[in-house]
Amino acid sequence: MTVTTPGLVLPRRKLLMGASALAVAPLAAPHIARAADPIRIGVLLAKTGGIAAQTEYLANGTFLALEERKNMLMGQPAELVWLDEPSPQAATQNMQKLVQENKVCAILGGSLSSNALAEEALAKDLKIPFVCDNAAATDITGKNCNRYTFRLNTPVAVQQAMLSPFAAKFGKKWYHITSSYAFGQDILKSSRENLKAIGGTEVGVDEVPLNTPDYSSFILKIRAAKPDVVVGGLAAGDLSTFLKQWNELGMKGKIPFVEIAIGDTDIWAVGPEAADGIFTKLWWYNNPNNPPEEKAFAAEYLKKHGKPAADKAWMGWITAKSLFDTLDAVKSTDAMKIVEGLEAWKFSAGQTAYSYRKFDHQMLVRNLAVQVKPKITDKWDYFDVKAVLPENPADVDKVFGTEAEIGCKMG
Amino acid sequence: MLDILLSQLASGLVLGGLYVLIAIGLSIIFGLLGIVNFAHGVFFTLGAYFALVLYQYFGWPAVILSPIAVGAIGMIAERLLIQRLYDKEPLISLIVTFALALLVEASVRLIWGGIGQPFSSPPFLSGIFIWGPILITKYRFAVFLTTVAVLVALWLFLEHTPFGRILRAGSRDPEMVGLLGINLPKVLTWVFGLGCAISGIAGVLAAPLWTITPSMATNAIMPAFVVVAIGGLGSFAGAVIAGLMVGIVSAMTIQFWPEASGAMMYIFMALMLLLRPRGLLGERWERFE
Repeated sequence: MTVTTPGLVLPRRKLLMGASALAVAPLAAPHIARAADPIRIGVLLAKTGGIAAQTEYLANGTFLALEERKNMLMGQPAELVWLDEPSPQAATQNMQKLVQENKVCAILGGSLSSNALAEEALAKDLKIPFVCDNAAATDITGKNCNRYTFRLNTPVAVQQAMLSPFAAKFGKKWYHITSSYAFGQDILKSSRENLKAIGGTEVGVDEVPLNTPDYSSFILKIRAAKPDVVVGGLAAGDLSTFLKQWNELGMKGKIPFVEIAIGDTDIWAVGPEAADGIFTKLWWYNNPNNPPEEKAFAAEYLKKHGKPAADKAWMGWITAKSLFDTLDAVKSTDAMKIVEGLEAWKFSAGQTAYSYRKFDHQMLVRNLAVQVKPKITDKWDYFDVKAVLPENPADVDKVFGTEAEIGCKMG
Repeated sequence: MLDILLSQLASGLVLGGLYVLIAIGLSIIFGLLGIVNFAHGVFFTLGAYFALVLYQYFGWPAVILSPIAVGAIGMIAERLLIQRLYDKEPLISLIVTFALALLVEASVRLIWGGIGQPFSSPPFLSGIFIWGPILITKYRFAVFLTTVAVLVALWLFLEHTPFGRILRAGSRDPEMVGLLGINLPKVLTWVFGLGCAISGIAGVLAAPLWTITPSMATNAIMPAFVVVAIGGLGSFAGAVIAGLMVGIVSAMTIQFWPEASGAMMYIFMALMLLLRPRGLLGERWERFE
């Protein structure tokens, strides 16, 4: 039997086959997004808790990166879907939701090391590109690395190695005060190794619960131990609270305090009277050596939000930019094509270029060593840049560790 | 060693004092209204934020204006929301006050943003006192004195004023108080406002010590519940003794076993409740039996 229309005669079987072929065509090319659907990118950042002060800026930077492109990727409308990451367990549930319900093609986020370690394992299982913008635990691109995970923040061990010479200038008797979770434990381990390497002594150590409201008892212990320098490993609001109470107990300027990975929001919360210390950080809005594109970002951020871009805003922006550049370059939402695109991505930043290393997916970025100004006159501008680390740009790859040292096996 | 132990003791007493101020409001509200107020911590947060804002306009009088403003907001919350819970299941009041806490925290985040706000103690309170082996900062000493003054004033108010007598009678037999011609709903509104204002005082005192963030109540409300549970629900003296004990236990744990400092107050609570399930000075309340 045939279906007959004037001027067109088709056998019914062929007609059905043709219709079926049309119906399943999108399934044959699942990674070419349909024009009607926006490209969706997942964002996993904490919306509450102590880290929310930082994630607000991470999110602002991420959203600004898309707005700079008029919310378009690969010539199609694009949108960010932001879910919370209140704990490692809830974060992985939300990651699953982003992939299975929201159909995102990649995920940005990872505000805390404990969350990011859980998220990267799931990213591997779900085969979804995950670009981690904040967490610094060494294992993320170390022994826990995988093909789908990329990371911006310089690993704790590398930052600690950069900071330790500054700590050693004050003496070889160190006191450690670190948070008792992944980030703090990583700092303690790395710092102890560095201290051992210079033949120093640990005169005291305190592993402090997260969200400790009162540090006075810890500070009394530090005071009694009389160290040459205190090496901190406290994150976000905990660091701000510690520094306020450090000043309150008259310790500011008495015993030097050093820590890696300070966020601008952490020091802004301390206030000019109490701020103190030497820190490493990735980016500073007022650095005259920032490349033009970053200066444009900082100006746009200031215009939009009425305050300077914190380092976390830049971290959200540059990780999102790396992903968006990649999507535009590979013109596909296929996970492996995105992974390969990210491995090839490069951003020219003055004397160096930012890129993800192929063997561990760690972004190579020089760090700044900053010290709180002796007198703060601008409520946003707290730091003097003491050095750019490593001082020789050619040493970046070496400082981040060799393939054998890192221990990353992608499989 | 003695010097550091005595300094830790002083530090623990100050921290305990702050916990007492938060817990006492919680305890009064439970004792008189029968509401376990999960939103109590956000009034602590509001105390800190209001001090921050009012200081810009009024200077140091802000430390008095802020708790008054917090108390006023508490009274509005009672009239609009809490008074509808008095004859409801306890579970409903838990859920509603928890929702109120989330709402206020989200509002604070919306108005002031998520990042911490800097706020320092007044210059005349900067520096430290060293008395023999004891070291304490001037500000913490002032916090301790303020805490004592607030507690004494509150005790005098509850024990020696007609209004205080009505409150105590109302907590035991609200029906009888109503039959005596006293407008109990109005009294309860004032009680809720008073409890919130005391929490606001704790927020003001903590503002120069802690980081002012929308979620700062999280660090305060759990110790407050622990203090209330140890002291006995609704007991003024129990809350004072328990608060100081919790502060001292926390400080001493930091000295000898810092890794356990976060957990020790809960272990202490569990031990106390095993020995005395109603808490240190908890009594049998017919209303809640």
